[in-house]
Amino acid sequence: MSTVLQSLSSELADAVQSAGGAVVAIHARRRIPASGVHWRPGVVVATNHTISRDENITVTLPDGTTAPASLAGRDPGTDLAVLKLAGQSFPTASLRPETPPKVGELVIALGRPGPSLTASWGVVSGVDGPWRTWQGAEIDTLLRLDLAIYDGFSGGPLIDGAGRVLGINTSALARGVPVTIPVATVERAVSELLERGSIRRAYLGIGTQPVRVPESLVRKLELKVDVALLIVSVAPGGPADRDGWLLGDVLLELDGAAVSDPTDILAKLGGDRVGRPLAARVIRGGQVKTLQVTPGERPKSRVA
Amino acid sequence: MTASLLAAAGLARELAAAVDQLRRITVQVRAHGAATGAGILWTGGESEGRGLVITNAHVVRGDRATIELSDGTAARGRLVARDLKRDLAALEFEPTSATPSAAVRDSPPLRVGDLVIAIGHPGGLVGAVALGIIHGAESPREGRTARWIRADVRLAPGFSGGPLADATGRLVGVNTMTHGSLALAVPAAAVEAWVRRSHALVAS
Repeated sequence: MSTVLQSLSSELADAVQSAGGAVVAIHARRRIPASGVHWRPGVVVATNHTISRDENITVTLPDGTTAPASLAGRDPGTDLAVLKLAGQSFPTASLRPETPPKVGELVIALGRPGPSLTASWGVVSGVDGPWRTWQGAEIDTLLRLDLAIYDGFSGGPLIDGAGRVLGINTSALARGVPVTIPVATVERAVSELLERGSIRRAYLGIGTQPVRVPESLVRKLELKVDVALLIVSVAPGGPADRDGWLLGDVLLELDGAAVSDPTDILAKLGGDRVGRPLAARVIRGGQVKTLQVTPGERPKSRVA
Repeated sequence: MTASLLAAAGLARELAAAVDQLRRITVQVRAHGAATGAGILWTGGESEGRGLVITNAHVVRGDRATIELSDGTAARGRLVARDLKRDLAALEFEPTSATPSAAVRDSPPLRVGDLVIAIGHPGGLVGAVALGIIHGAESPREGRTARWIRADVRLAPGFSGGPLADATGRLVGVNTMTHGSLALAVPAAAVEAWVRRSHALVAS
C-alpha cells in the first residue's frame, strides 16, 4: 500500500482546497475571466493587465455566487490592482511573508478562470534579489518557476505545500513568462493603492538605449566609462522636454551615478523624487554638459 | 537520516512501485510495423481466454493492430469497437499467459491537486512516466459524468491511449489529447460505460 504517495496526494489536494477558498474569478475583460485573491477582509488583489474596464466589474466567489466589486486602484508597474468587495464574508488568504521560497520547493499555482478552481504544480527553480519591471516598479524577490501557467491564472496565488500564499502570479511582466510578485511587494502595493489609488513614481519622459561611446570621444572627454544611454525619445511637454533635454543627447551620469542601462535611470526615480531636481551629465555636440531635470509624476498609463 | 529524507526515500520507492505496476497494464500498440501509441489492459483474458485492450481511436486507424505487452510478448489485436466521437477503441487479443488488468478508481471523486501518474511510449521510449496533478474538476452535469479529466502533466505524442492513474495506481482515465501543457483524459467511468455498451453490441 502506498501510504507516503497517497498522503502527498491528499495533502496537495488539501492545500489547494484551503487556499482555493480565498481565490475568486474577476470579470473585467472580454473573453475568459482572470483570477484574484481575497487578501484582506473586503479587499481583493488582482492583476492590472486583466482589468480592462473601471466599471461593471464582478467577482465570482468560491461558493459560486457573483458579487459586484469596485476598483480601488491599479498599478501598471507591478501589474497589480486592488478591488473592494462589500458585505461578503469568506476566508482571506493565509500569507507566508516571512520565509521566502527556496529553490526546489514544491509550489502550486491556483486560478479561477470561471466558477471552478484550477491548479498546476511545479518547483521554484530560482530565487534572486530585487529586480525592476519595465515600468519601473521594484519587486523584492525574483522567483523563477518550473511550472505551467494557464489562461486566466494571472491574479491567482502561488501557494506552498501547506496552502500558504507566496505571491501573486502574472504573465504580463516578463513577456508571457510567469512571474510571481512576492507577498511583501503585494502588501506594499495594496496599502498604497488603497490610500492613493495609484503608486507614485517619478518620471523624466525620455526613452533611452545603451550605446558604446567611440573610443576617440572617450579619450578626448576623459570619460571613465564607454557605455552610455542615447536619448531616443523625449515626451513632448514632459519633465526632460521642459528642462531642455534634446533627442540625441547621450546620458553619462544621473544624480552622480554612471548610467549604462535604462534600469539605472529607473533606480533614481522613486516616488519621493517627484519635484526634486536631479543633475545629469550628457554628451551634446561632442562636449560634456551638465543639465538639470525636475522629475514629474509618471502619468497614469494603462496596459491593456 | 532525517525524517524528511526518509519520507522522500519512501516517496521515491512507492512511486517506483506504483509505476512498475502500471507499466504491467500498459501495452504498446503497433500498426503496420510502426508504434502508434499506448493501450490499457482492460481485461486480462480470464473471460473465455480473451483479453481486451482499450486505447484511443486515433491510435488504431485500421481494424488490426499488434499489441506488445510489457513482458515483450506480442499478440495480434482485432478491433471490436471504435467510437470516433469519444476517441476510444477496443482491441481483442489472445493472451499466451494470464496478464494483469487495470483496476478502476470508483471513489472517492478526484480533487484538484490530487497526484496523477501517466504512462506512455513517447518517441519510442517504452514505459515512460509523467507525474502531475489534477488541474480542474469539470463540474459534472446533473446525472452525467464529466467529459474530460484535466491534468497538469506534460505528455507527448506516444502517451495517447495509455493510463492516467491516481497515487495508488488505480486507473482514472485514458490519456487522449493535450491542450498546451494540459493533458485531457477520458474518465475511466466513461470508458467503463462505453465498454459495457459496445461489448453488448459486439456480442449481439
